[in-house]
Amino acid sequence: MSGLNALWQAILVLVGGGVVGFLYKGLDRKLAARLQGRIGPPLRQPVLDVIKLLLKENIVPRTAIPWLFQAAPFLAFITAVTALLYLPIGSLAPVLHGYGDLVLLLYLLAIPALAMAMGGFASGSPYAVVGAQREIVMMMSYEFPLAIAAVGIAWRLATLGIGPSFSLATIAANPLWGLVGPLGWIGLLFLFVALLAVTPAELSKIPFDIPEAETEIAGGLFVEYSGVNLALFYLADVIKTLVIAGLVVALFIPYGLAVPLGITGVGGQVLDILFFLVKLFGVVFFAVTVVRVAFARLKVDQVVRLYLLPTTLLALAGLLLLVLDKVVMGG
Amino acid sequence: MIFKALFLQLFTRPVTNRFPAKYMPTSVLGFLGKVQEGKAKIVPPVPVTEGFRGKIAYDREKCIGCQLCIRVCPAQVIEFKPEEKKIRMYVTRCTYCAQCVDVCPVGALSRSQEFLLADYDRFASNLVVE
Amino acid sequence: MREKVKPEEKTEELTKACPTCFEVPIGPIHPALKEGIRFTFWIEGERIRKVDIRPGFMHRGIEFMGTKRNLIQVLYLAERICGICSISHPLAIVQAVEQAAGIEVPPRAQYIRVIIGELERIHSHLLWAGVAAHELGFDTLLHYVWKVREPVLDILEDLTGNRIDYAIPIYGGVRRDVPPEKYPKLKDALRYYRSLVDDFVNFFLRDPSIEARTRGVGVLTSEEADSLCAVGPTARASGLRKDVRQDWPYFAYPDLEVKALTPEDMGLEVRGDVYDRIVVRLLEVVQSIELIEQCLEEMPEGEITAFPKVAALLAHLKKAEGEGVGRHEAPRGEVIHYIRLEAGEEAPAVWKVKAPTYSNLMPWYPMFRDQEIADIPIVAASIDPCICCMERVQIVCDGKAETLLKDELLRLSWAKTERVASRVTRQVSPGRGG
Repeated sequence: MSGLNALWQAILVLVGGGVVGFLYKGLDRKLAARLQGRIGPPLRQPVLDVIKLLLKENIVPRTAIPWLFQAAPFLAFITAVTALLYLPIGSLAPVLHGYGDLVLLLYLLAIPALAMAMGGFASGSPYAVVGAQREIVMMMSYEFPLAIAAVGIAWRLATLGIGPSFSLATIAANPLWGLVGPLGWIGLLFLFVALLAVTPAELSKIPFDIPEAETEIAGGLFVEYSGVNLALFYLADVIKTLVIAGLVVALFIPYGLAVPLGITGVGGQVLDILFFLVKLFGVVFFAVTVVRVAFARLKVDQVVRLYLLPTTLLALAGLLLLVLDKVVMGG
Repeated sequence: MIFKALFLQLFTRPVTNRFPAKYMPTSVLGFLGKVQEGKAKIVPPVPVTEGFRGKIAYDREKCIGCQLCIRVCPAQVIEFKPEEKKIRMYVTRCTYCAQCVDVCPVGALSRSQEFLLADYDRFASNLVVE
Repeated sequence: MREKVKPEEKTEELTKACPTCFEVPIGPIHPALKEGIRFTFWIEGERIRKVDIRPGFMHRGIEFMGTKRNLIQVLYLAERICGICSISHPLAIVQAVEQAAGIEVPPRAQYIRVIIGELERIHSHLLWAGVAAHELGFDTLLHYVWKVREPVLDILEDLTGNRIDYAIPIYGGVRRDVPPEKYPKLKDALRYYRSLVDDFVNFFLRDPSIEARTRGVGVLTSEEADSLCAVGPTARASGLRKDVRQDWPYFAYPDLEVKALTPEDMGLEVRGDVYDRIVVRLLEVVQSIELIEQCLEEMPEGEITAFPKVAALLAHLKKAEGEGVGRHEAPRGEVIHYIRLEAGEEAPAVWKVKAPTYSNLMPWYPMFRDQEIADIPIVAASIDPCICCMERVQIVCDGKAETLLKDELLRLSWAKTERVASRVTRQVSPGRGG
């Protein structure tokens, strides 16, 4: 692949990702409103919000550490966008295929959260400090089940002799559900549920929006952010939603429509991309929108307990079942 | 759990009151201008009940200038015009208790159903009753 | 002994007491608060170690304004002490004035007052439930509860003419009758709320996330509630069977036999936490529905006011002399109005208002003890605070707000009593006492 070609692809993915991200954000708000019995904002509202933020003054508080405060939103945005380039889209391989794998993607997903926490600590407001502490604590608790889910799948693929097993393109091209025995199937289901449970926390959405917690700490991490900086955090959130949902799809539901329907060539690819977007929407709707309207915000100790005990145990059980499956199947 | 209620609401019409328009217009004044030109339509407000206490209506002919309404008005809405022995009401101050309607010995004051009284000028002709 | 403490000195003292704490100010402007009040929390990790509460941002001087107007105007001023309990303050002041001026109220008016008062309790408790859900980050319930609150507001508009600030009670009766042709609509609304009770129980009391956030949070033991004089649902949730409608029945309440409700009435153990406060308010909604139904059945025919002519009422009030105390069980607790009338004066000589939040401020201290930051909004909201109604004093000295200690306040209040007493006794005839 030539460098120029890759550049064009990257631009295409980023522009497309932006459009789809805003669309899904709008749909998320609209559907959440409908679930609550409201009309909700028009679909273009997220775009209007970002435009408004871009026009606003960028205030750096006197008590902040200016360079860190300013750098955090850029870091969050850039890493979120980079993560998008590692995502397999439909039957297409990731744009940066070959330059990094699943492990890198997991790290890239952690950086926006870290950047937010850094920005929070740097903004010098007690609310932001509390929010940043909560973000870090929450991250420590949900990263473990997330890592187990990712590693479990990659390991099982490796035992089946499919490689390079940590490459997302490989994982997406070889759905595990059909390759493992019944025990492994249950194990995969456990891992799937654990990953879905982690999704709202990754995105800091209710019931896990404790770093922001509007009624408690007035926006927490973001309390001092305004203008372009806040817009960048917003964009990072929009893109990160896509990446997380895309990760869930790539790991657990990577099926395409083109092969079973026997459509080949460009038509098949387009069909797969559309189907991919539908799956993405399904994940966003059920793991983010419905969850965030159906629960109250939890407290930080409850979040930690929820992730460190049931979710981690579920993920470990899934991993164990995959190991047993390997023993039984002899793969 | 609340899921059943949530999905029921997803498929029923939202309860939000759509008055005066479903979405916030880009420019409120522009929207109102369009409504006047007949290019846009206002969603009507929820109708008020029969006993609703809206803007006070004043029958100038019946008024005898006894000033009882001025005595009971809690918000000092009413001003007496000594030369004509009539009153003037500043609607922006009104709290819509309709105590003046109760106290008026000749029935010169009455409740109306009007409540859409927002204006940029507090002395607009609609907001000063005399 | 006069001792004034500047707020900054106090901060230093508290910081010394807890060196690892950091200070988190909440308010006077904060999304968790619907009205201005300032909390200063000393936080260790996520735990609250100390709290300081400073009211005084919302003082409006309503009592002073009241002494410059005639009593009918004061009635509507009283209505605007609180927007949510906008019938409770008028109901308390009419009792006080009727006692002071010796006015007999026709029985039908007493029943109508109860009906409107109980309808208000339904709408106020629903409003609170929505706000509480919002404080917990559960906006779906906020929207749901406020959606089902609309019918009771519609009924109130139908009966009184306004959705809030009903302007219904007047000295000697009520201003509008509830005619029999409005009964069916009212009964329909009550039936609607009865049908919703199961939903409320499901959404609020059986929801795992709400239970996780409210059980064991903001605990107020019954001893603390008793010694700190908590009132209303806050006291009842701590197991005190305390209700003005039960202990000191007024209006038509003696006929209706109201019983103060605690979580025990739902078969639950009393723990005095936020969850219990939800339970009590839910029980009270059901109780209010029952009371209104009972009122509709037992309501006698007859006059609705002792003074059909407002001018006659004004004349009577001008002649009246004496003092009266009115107590009403508002949705938030007991509201007390004290009034003193002088013959020949249209304005009351003294008007004193005690809103329920005033009594429920002190219970905040034990409630906040060792809670987490995340609990602040719901614990603060759990007493259903109404700061505006409660604010009575704002001391500004040379343009600066100052903190006054007990001794200083006592001295000031003695001085004021002397001032008022000398003014009042001058005009009081012998034998009536001052």
